[in-house]
Amino acid sequence: MTRKDDEPSSTRRTHLEPRLILAAMGPGMVAALAGADAGGVATYSNAGALFGFNQLWTVPVMCFLLIVAQETAARMGCVTGKGLASLIREQFGVRLSALAMTALLISNTTVTLSEFAGIASALALFGVPVYVSVPVAALAIWLLTMSGSYRRIEKVLLAIACVFVTYIVAGVMVSPNWGDALMHTVVPHVDATPQYLSLLVASVGTAIAPWMLFLAQSNVVEKNAHAEDLPYQRIDTVTGAVAASVISWFIILTTGAVLHPAGIAVSGAEDAAAALAPLVGDYAEALFGAGLTGASFLAACVLPGITSSAVCEAFGWERGADRSWSEAPVYRGIITAVIVVSAAVVMIPGINLFGIMMIAQVINGVLLPVLLVFMVLIASDKHVMGRHVNSRVWNALTWFTIVAVTVLTIIMFVMQALGV
Amino acid sequence: MIYLSQLLGNPVLDADGEKVGTVSDLGIATGEVFPRITSLAFMGPGRTPIMISWRKFVDTYDENEVHLKVIATDLRFSYLQPDEVLLARDILNKQIVDTHGMRVVRVNDLKLSDTSSTQLRLLGAEVGARGLLRSLHPALERVALRLARTFGHPMPEKIIAWSYMDLVERDLSNVKLSVSHKTLDDMHPADIADIIERLDPRLRGQVFAQLDDEQRAGAMAEFDDDAMAAELMGNLTETDASRMLSEMDPDDAAELVSELDYDKAEKLLRLMGVQEQRAIRQLLGYRENTAGRIMTSEVASIGEDATVADAVALLRGLDEDFESVRYVYLTDEDGKLSGVVTLNALIVAPAETLLSELATEDLVTASPEDDQEDVAENIAKYNLLAMPVVNDEGRLLGIVTVDDALDVLEEEHAEDLRVAGGTAEGDDSGHASALIWLVRRNAWVALWALGVLALVLVVGAQVGLAGTLAVAIPLAVALVLADDSVSYVTNFFLENDPDDEDSPSMIGFTFRSIGIGAVLAALVALIMLALESIIASPAVPSVTASLDGLAAALTAGGAGAAASTFFSFAVTPIYLAILRHRDANNKETSGFTLSLVAMLVAVAVFSLTVLGLFA
Repeated sequence: MTRKDDEPSSTRRTHLEPRLILAAMGPGMVAALAGADAGGVATYSNAGALFGFNQLWTVPVMCFLLIVAQETAARMGCVTGKGLASLIREQFGVRLSALAMTALLISNTTVTLSEFAGIASALALFGVPVYVSVPVAALAIWLLTMSGSYRRIEKVLLAIACVFVTYIVAGVMVSPNWGDALMHTVVPHVDATPQYLSLLVASVGTAIAPWMLFLAQSNVVEKNAHAEDLPYQRIDTVTGAVAASVISWFIILTTGAVLHPAGIAVSGAEDAAAALAPLVGDYAEALFGAGLTGASFLAACVLPGITSSAVCEAFGWERGADRSWSEAPVYRGIITAVIVVSAAVVMIPGINLFGIMMIAQVINGVLLPVLLVFMVLIASDKHVMGRHVNSRVWNALTWFTIVAVTVLTIIMFVMQALGV
Repeated sequence: MIYLSQLLGNPVLDADGEKVGTVSDLGIATGEVFPRITSLAFMGPGRTPIMISWRKFVDTYDENEVHLKVIATDLRFSYLQPDEVLLARDILNKQIVDTHGMRVVRVNDLKLSDTSSTQLRLLGAEVGARGLLRSLHPALERVALRLARTFGHPMPEKIIAWSYMDLVERDLSNVKLSVSHKTLDDMHPADIADIIERLDPRLRGQVFAQLDDEQRAGAMAEFDDDAMAAELMGNLTETDASRMLSEMDPDDAAELVSELDYDKAEKLLRLMGVQEQRAIRQLLGYRENTAGRIMTSEVASIGEDATVADAVALLRGLDEDFESVRYVYLTDEDGKLSGVVTLNALIVAPAETLLSELATEDLVTASPEDDQEDVAENIAKYNLLAMPVVNDEGRLLGIVTVDDALDVLEEEHAEDLRVAGGTAEGDDSGHASALIWLVRRNAWVALWALGVLALVLVVGAQVGLAGTLAVAIPLAVALVLADDSVSYVTNFFLENDPDDEDSPSMIGFTFRSIGIGAVLAALVALIMLALESIIASPAVPSVTASLDGLAAALTAGGAGAAASTFFSFAVTPIYLAILRHRDANNKETSGFTLSLVAMLVAVAVFSLTVLGLFA
């Protein structure tokens, strides 16, 4: 890697202080565990159930691309001290930032929608009807986001979301064919069916969600990390991405080993929970339900705030949980709108909750390239980034992601249109 | 009227009508109220950036194209002068501070003067929705305008004149701006602090670094967030930081220094002048939240045998940044405080009058170890502008001024509100806070639901659903009373000061609480028994005898409610001890959290009692 060489500041600091590493860790972990939210669980367990180990190879690839994208976002935050939305506005003007913000708004609203679907289907496992769980959850999330007090319960939700670590234990207990699994992890395997491709796009959309980029950068900006803090931010980025990938790998592995041979297609939360049955037996549904609720709730608390904050940042409106309605009407309005729309859609009678989660991830995947293009253009601009400008390798990888997702999307739509 | 968004990207044509490039930016001379456009930047062939003088070369311009006076080969390139600002690069799309409206805004467009005049001038920055719409597409702006007019809500432009703009990202402090230009530097320190709090952390540092020492010191004292103030201070160089500390009032400086870590604080103090350093160190020697910590040692004091003329001479000789003087204090030959003369008295009295004739000798003083809240309350009570702080021998150490006392009262008020279960964000009367208030006040409902779940687990198998629900009815009473027990203890905490001799002792409070608990528990038990016997009595024929089990369940619930009520009140001394302990350590306690804890305890005691009765 050539990047290390052009950084005298990081080479001068010969050893990293453990205390500071711990202080820098956190945002990456939040992003990672919130990544195991409704959409993530739906996508990965579907991938496992439908194609067995055939999509395992995507996990290391996604992990690497996630590191590239997150590292770029964190580096931009460290160098410029500005959020991604701010940078897009200042570099590309009103028109293009309107485009970027529309993409972000759509993508984040669909993700919030899928989180509500996740909460609804997880609580349905406990027998709570959608018409009860969704309004209550929406009200709670609205109150927590509006008052900015969700940070107080962030740790609790993270702890609940850690339930998904049980997938690792379950994966070990079902004693899959490890050689086979590892082989599929290293050797790519592509089925040329629309279903496979749309799952692939959904995997990208889940693994590298646009909101994660905004979250990563705004965390760095809030902490006022400088260029010399970059090594710590990189550690955070890498550990978070690896943790997220390990969990998703085991979800695919477990569902691939349990559901795929049995021919069970995942059409609801109870099917996904069934993969945990070998480990905890009758408690599989309760455990899975708790984990899914925790992760989805966490993501649903984070998402409206990030979205609204980014839009207001780009257009220069007041933002922040400590601003009242009269001071920051747009900020509060967007949060409210995102939550209300998401909750309302989930409550449409007879809607397929698991289907929503899947579609949301596909939309996320489709919109990801739009935002990545903005990011890579800014990150490779010497005037903005100075000597921390993107290296060629990083540029190539980001452009590869953009092109690959775009091509996959086009093929997916064409195949669907032709009805293949 | 023409806007920058309409000029950018237009073709630049030379005298022959040959295209030489497209407009990319305009430079302005910064020294005027409505700055002149001085240079034109355009993208030449092969994307080479070119800059030329506006006055020398531009002939005509409009929304479609810019015509030059000469042919391409006669153009002479110029360079950006230090006092020039580029509109698109430095202002458009950037965050600026509107020093008139005191807000941080983003510039959506820039409004330029009429195209008919030869000189093009910058009128101001457009920060409203119209600028946004116009930049998206001019047609959008027209549609929005027409709609707005139809509905009778005209959409005015929001223009910020150049003289009220502060470009936070570009340091113009070494550029000579026009006299009327109002930058951040010219605002009140409290407003500067407000603005800085609204910026991104990095910009905060940059903007703060642009202020002069005096403004920095003023703004620093006004920040609400101590951690942020300490961080801003960390961004300054050590010499700058220590200079700023010297500039601040010693009490504010001491508060700030106490936020820093020891090494950094020591280093900064050592860089300061001997006198200021000693003042701050002396203040830091007192405990937090005492009069000693918030007093200032900058006092006007003079011997008691001096005359009015002497006192006036003393005041005239004071430093410019000396704490504002409200009183002149008199000291006797031992240095003891002996009297005080108000400024009014000084001004009115003839010059040769002895100060001791004017002085009030009946003084209200504070000791440096006194609680800051008591001092503030005394200042309010005696209508003082400052209260002298004296040591045990009666020597004058400093004064606590009324502005610091107000800060203390505000702080303590917010703390008390939080303990009482409210919030201090009084200005936000929006729907969210009303809902939060409602949720907080009715948290017992959620706890009750939780209790029902707990009871189902504990006794559900034995008494069935109807029985469990019957047991759960008295639980609601127990929960409300648990909530009340917390109000009882927080009220006691707020009304009584542990250091006050008149207030009841801890033991007294314990006995009282246990007494109240016993009486309330007996009352609850009696009401439940009465209810149960009325329901079960033959006089109420509508309830059939088959409900025997339910009556037993209701009795069990009554016993549970009585037990948990007694327990709730019996443990209030523990809550009081916690509250006082946390208060002594300057930690804030939320009354809401406390009542949640109390209600959870009540649910636990209730369930255990019921379990014990049925087992």
